[in-house]
Amino acid sequence: MPRYLKRLFFILIILCIPAGFLTQHEHAVFLWHKIPSADAMFGVLGALLILLAIKIVASFASRKEDFYD
Amino acid sequence: MIKPVPPAFIFILGAMLIPLLRLRGRLRQPYLILVFVVAFIDLLYLEPGASWVYHFLGYELVFAKVDRLSLGIGYIFVIIGFLAILYSLHVREDGQHVAAFLYVGSSLGVVFAGDYFSLFAFWEIMALTSVFLIWYRREKESLDAGFRYVLMHVFGGCSLLTGIIIHIVSQGFTPVGLLGGGLGSIFILIGFGLNAAFIPIHTWLPDSYPQGTVTGSVFLSIYTTKTGVYALARCFSGADVVAYMGGIMAVYGIFYALLQNDTRKLLSYHIISQVGYMVAGIGVGTALGVNGGIAHLINNILYKSLLFMCMGSVIYMTGKSKLTELGGLARFMPVTCIACIIASLSISGGPGFNGFVSKGMVISSAAEVHKPILELMLVLASVGTFLSFTKLCYFTFFAQNEGIRAKEAPLNMQLAMMLTALLCVFIGVYPKVLFSVLPHYPVHYYSYTPSHVVGVLQLFLLAGWVFMVARAAFSPHEGIVLDFDYFYRMTCRGIVWLCTVPLNGLRLRVQAFFSREVASVARLSRNPISIPALTKQYVHLMTVQILKHNAEISQNRRMELEHMRSKFREIRKIPYNENTYRGPMGLGILLALIFLFFYGLIYFLAS
Repeated sequence: MPRYLKRLFFILIILCIPAGFLTQHEHAVFLWHKIPSADAMFGVLGALLILLAIKIVASFASRKEDFYD
Repeated sequence: MIKPVPPAFIFILGAMLIPLLRLRGRLRQPYLILVFVVAFIDLLYLEPGASWVYHFLGYELVFAKVDRLSLGIGYIFVIIGFLAILYSLHVREDGQHVAAFLYVGSSLGVVFAGDYFSLFAFWEIMALTSVFLIWYRREKESLDAGFRYVLMHVFGGCSLLTGIIIHIVSQGFTPVGLLGGGLGSIFILIGFGLNAAFIPIHTWLPDSYPQGTVTGSVFLSIYTTKTGVYALARCFSGADVVAYMGGIMAVYGIFYALLQNDTRKLLSYHIISQVGYMVAGIGVGTALGVNGGIAHLINNILYKSLLFMCMGSVIYMTGKSKLTELGGLARFMPVTCIACIIASLSISGGPGFNGFVSKGMVISSAAEVHKPILELMLVLASVGTFLSFTKLCYFTFFAQNEGIRAKEAPLNMQLAMMLTALLCVFIGVYPKVLFSVLPHYPVHYYSYTPSHVVGVLQLFLLAGWVFMVARAAFSPHEGIVLDFDYFYRMTCRGIVWLCTVPLNGLRLRVQAFFSREVASVARLSRNPISIPALTKQYVHLMTVQILKHNAEISQNRRMELEHMRSKFREIRKIPYNENTYRGPMGLGILLALIFLFFYGLIYFLAS
């Protein structure tokens, strides 16, 4: 990835978190709707959880291409 | 004024005319487009209500039940079908076009069916015609996958028919509409669920769609699952089990998509995930949920077919479909690359793209009815979708691969991709056009609220950061990942083993036994008169053999036994000669008279 794109990417990350404090959920129903920038937390935790899950699935379900042949 | 016809018939007639007209080259292409144009004009003239009603065996068959739901789906089916046929214009095999037309026609037949029997008929035509879009690839894997596809859909069709019959027997002949509980509903749900790729009966989808022809997979990605979702919206709206099944599908689909190396298999798992959103919205059942589910269906048809077009173009131009073999194609195929990025942002639900609108509606509907687990599942699936398409775009178009060379796809393919991408962006920035065709109108939902836009950006940027940090962990690997089809395949193999080894062994033994007996009877029937002599000789022989079995046998006895055996064989060999046994005719008459006398005597005594 070009360096300027990387910089832009990190600037956007830095900007989006305080932006979450400025915007309030219109119809907060659950607890996490009331936490500012909860979506940023979901982004990180969700990606890590998915990474963990796919590693677990891959550990017991991966086979060679010709497994069924 | 010409009365509009059910659009299914336009495509079925159009399919029949393809081989009859024997159109070649430039004449075939306008004809293919013309059929879609005629169908679209026909849709414009369809009036709400039920028409094309026929009485058959005491039942009412309704071929054109028109309301906002069926009309909205009908429009998108015809529009995207037009784009898919535009993408397929270079295909010269008439058979592929016939299969595609019948498939599109039967899907529209399902959408406009007003009764369960005509719905079932179109449902089955859809399954049987779509398989040809897989078989036309003419490779062993495609043939095998096609057979598995047919087997699964036959199971689904049988389940649906069972449910329909139970429903009609218990509740009478009712139009297609909301179903309550009961055994019939369960069977119908399984039938619909199979097409909508419910877990764990989803395996036909990632198994067969990657094996379709380049253009056939585009059609496949549009119709089968979406008719399943449409049928669920008609009959199972508001069912909790459907809502949570949607959540499970959304998450399950992305887990498996992230593990795939084959690009079209990755997209196939994403169909399951995206259909999960639709199913969840329909299962929630509120106006927002159903609108969200149908809006997502319409959007999904656009971006998913665009993704299949993009990956189809990559396969068509490079001959490669695995992420481990691709990379660096952005330089060679810029139009395909841009279209793929637009489709990826649309499916991920990026602001400014159509998925942003409909995904937001579905997730909000889960919150609306206080289903926190469902909302979290859908958010998690959203993160996974973004990661998965970041991976797809990166490893196809941007990762380093010096060994690959390719040209941009043919013009008709580029045009179809650009038009579909344009529609994705158009709906994303102007969602009112989407809202106008949704079943619950007017739609009270505002997509571009600050919290929604910022929330989605946070979700994607932070997930993207994790992808950057752990890129190696997301990199594709050779091989396959076992799914539920492992159990189905092993069960089928077990059944085949049971039939070929123990049951076949039993069959052979039974067959050998009866063959021996039949041979004996046949031998005896050559000279039935010898049966008493043979029986006498056989009994004598067996008795002597048994008596002498354990005792020491002298030479004389042994010779005696051998002599008896040879005599037995000789008697068996004597052929029947009627002259030897011929008696005078009077003897026969005398025997008959004796028989009649005893018969009469017994009859007289018994009475």
